[in-house]
Amino acid sequence: MLKVENIVTRYGAIEALKGMSLEAQHGEVTCLLGPNGAGKTTTMFTIAGILSSHSGSITLDGNDLTHQSAPAIVRTGIALVPENRLVFPEMSVADNLAAGAYCRPRSEKTAIDQDLAQVFDRFPPLRKRREQLSGTLSGGEQQMLAIGRALMARPKILMMDEPSLGLAPLIVDEIFKIIQQLNQEGVTILLVEQNARMALKVAHKLYLLEQGAVTFEGSPTEMQQDELIQRAYLGVGAD
Amino acid sequence: MLNDYVLTIISNIGMISLIALSAYLLLVTGQISFGQQAFFGISAYAGAIATTLWGWPFWLALIFGSGLAGLAAGFIGLLTLRISGMYFSIATLAFAEMIRLSLFKLTYQIEIDGELVGPNGAEGFGEIRWIFDHDISVLEYTLLIYAVLMVVLVGMVLLERSRLGMIFRMLGSDALLTRAQGLNPVRYKITAAVIAGFIAGLGGTLYAHSFTYIEPQIFNVMLGVHSLAYGLIGGLGTVLGPLIGVAIDIGFLESIRIFQGYRMIVFGGLVAVMLIFMPRGILDEARVYWIKAVARRWFNA
Amino acid sequence: MTDFVQNCIDGLMFGSGYALLALGFTLVFGVMKRLNLSFGPSIMLGAYAGTWVYLNFSDNAWLVALATVIATIAVGIYVERLCFRAIRRDSTIASMVSSFAIWMQLEEVAMHLLPERTYPFPAFFTTTTIEFGPFYARSEHITMLLLTLLLLVLLHVFLFRTRPGLALRLVSDNPLASAYMGINNSNILFLAFALVSVLGGLAGFLILSADTQVTPFFGLWATFKGLIAMMLGGMGSLPGAILGGLLLGIVEANAFWYGGAVIRDLSAYLLLFVMLIVRPGGLIGQKIVAEQRAADERV
Repeated sequence: MLKVENIVTRYGAIEALKGMSLEAQHGEVTCLLGPNGAGKTTTMFTIAGILSSHSGSITLDGNDLTHQSAPAIVRTGIALVPENRLVFPEMSVADNLAAGAYCRPRSEKTAIDQDLAQVFDRFPPLRKRREQLSGTLSGGEQQMLAIGRALMARPKILMMDEPSLGLAPLIVDEIFKIIQQLNQEGVTILLVEQNARMALKVAHKLYLLEQGAVTFEGSPTEMQQDELIQRAYLGVGAD
Repeated sequence: MLNDYVLTIISNIGMISLIALSAYLLLVTGQISFGQQAFFGISAYAGAIATTLWGWPFWLALIFGSGLAGLAAGFIGLLTLRISGMYFSIATLAFAEMIRLSLFKLTYQIEIDGELVGPNGAEGFGEIRWIFDHDISVLEYTLLIYAVLMVVLVGMVLLERSRLGMIFRMLGSDALLTRAQGLNPVRYKITAAVIAGFIAGLGGTLYAHSFTYIEPQIFNVMLGVHSLAYGLIGGLGTVLGPLIGVAIDIGFLESIRIFQGYRMIVFGGLVAVMLIFMPRGILDEARVYWIKAVARRWFNA
Repeated sequence: MTDFVQNCIDGLMFGSGYALLALGFTLVFGVMKRLNLSFGPSIMLGAYAGTWVYLNFSDNAWLVALATVIATIAVGIYVERLCFRAIRRDSTIASMVSSFAIWMQLEEVAMHLLPERTYPFPAFFTTTTIEFGPFYARSEHITMLLLTLLLLVLLHVFLFRTRPGLALRLVSDNPLASAYMGINNSNILFLAFALVSVLGGLAGFLILSADTQVTPFFGLWATFKGLIAMMLGGMGSLPGAILGGLLLGIVEANAFWYGGAVIRDLSAYLLLFVMLIVRPGGLIGQKIVAEQRAADERV
């Protein structure tokens, strides 16, 4: 399980994360909810090793990840699907997927090929556009590519930063179905989202992040029953 | 104490300051030009031809040379309107080299008093004797150079405080934003180019007459990069910036014997280091603002 | 007409040397989005190391080539640390200016190290003239052309069929996403510089051994030729570098024949200037709308 304890991350003099903690259990979908600027992406970056925390600790199944570099963290089994997809626009779908497997040793070549086949099975449109430049794909297809790319790392935990961002509602539905399916197949997912409705449908455990600290944690049912959250995030009217 | 050697250094500082100010003005508007030496050279040749071959009075030659340089600069500014950044810089470099190479082909000689005078391609242009023919001492000429420099400095300080100057700085800061303000960058870019070219031109004619001999090789890439570097080292926040840069190079490095032959090594390294730690120079905008604020508080107390 | 065709043939030969230099420039630009104007003098210092070995140790051409490449890499590391790594990621123009300043520094260092006007360089090739029909070509130039093509193929294999090559392309395309994939950007940039130094060192060796001498003007010359060739083809484009180099070679050969040395150099700059104004992206490079953002920043 991924344990994040009391992380403080700073941008210069500004504290973006003021001691936040969460736990993501294997086999579950854990969701970090919160408004813009709450620190959700900062949390993702800190876990992924792209940002360095000022204090606090991050452990995965007991291994300390706190100040490791991004390549090292990818190798321990955490893959990130970044906000806004961030595909390699001038490179083919195939090359993008190869990028995902970059940190895996050469000895795993057969396993990598297997994973590639699996990604194409899971996402048929990607197979169709295998040699196409990824910058020319539609938003939904790019999201699939980003997820597929992360899966190529055979991660223990898949971190997804706002997968619904900038996508049409129908596509968002599709993406979340994929998330559910992935989880049913056993992939552990740490999800960051602004879209509370969709998140409630797929998550097992939710954390609410506001201004750098966790203000609520619980199951979807608990969250739905909380009045404050209902009004602030679920659009239920005030009485 | 003020022997000719010292005076020569002082007058060099004055003339090179002009080309440094020329590059500085463009830097402020956000354009990095590696080619101001072209206008320095155009004016050097034009002004020298005017006095030596055509017998014009000096002040007329100065205006002529600088005016020609300004016009050429405006022309290039027009051609390079649509390109910016790295592309613009390389284009200025290409243009300057084209001018330098063209000067190798420039032969225009007239017989005066039984001798051939005038530019002769690679052999250069010698006998630019206006100063000697008119009995002007080194001191007097140095004062003339600094008079011109003063006028330019006053002009640029006034420019800095004017609306035009503010627009120039806006262009340098964010060209897109400037356009969004309803200001057409075209006019201002070209205006800046012409003014900068003119200023470099002033330096050029003065230089030709001071050294009495010019050749194409002088107006090369090194001169161009130096003029750029002065502003980058001294600071882009004030007209004093490039002057400080020139003083450091010619005043300090050139004069101190230890640095003989190692000037470029020191100077080049200095520029690289400055770009890491103080990319907009010693007297950059922030520091100038701070100095002014402190000064204001002092005077109000 | 025969003259013109002969000039074109000569131009292609010279052009292959320019193409190699342009490849170095374009690789650095492709990966870092910055221009390394110290490229030429770096190669020249490398060549000086080569000539030093030649004069003091052995006249084995391979050894000289090795010395040249290693020295070029060493200088390349110096330039990379000072002018590129140390400067903020978004200040691409600052790196260009910095590398220009270091260019001046390196030129003076070269002058101090070897003050003579010219130094001998081993002739790597046999010099014979090959005739075909009314035309002829020098064998060393043909060899250089063939070697250039070989290097090109090797480069292509490296970039498209190896893991580090993939990483290089990824970082060129999107440095941020590369970081997410666990790619160490600093290492890759360093690799790019090393690769470029090797290419440059080899290019310098080939060009100079065809000439059998190295002079202090080589640094300036190499930078300008490589720069022009790269920009003609399009910054960041590998095929562009080749095309640009060959085009430059052909234009120069003809200009020299009909006009002389000054006209030759003038034509090169004129070609560059016109290209920048009319089509800054170069022959192959993309239309400069997207690139403008990279070009549009202050120091």
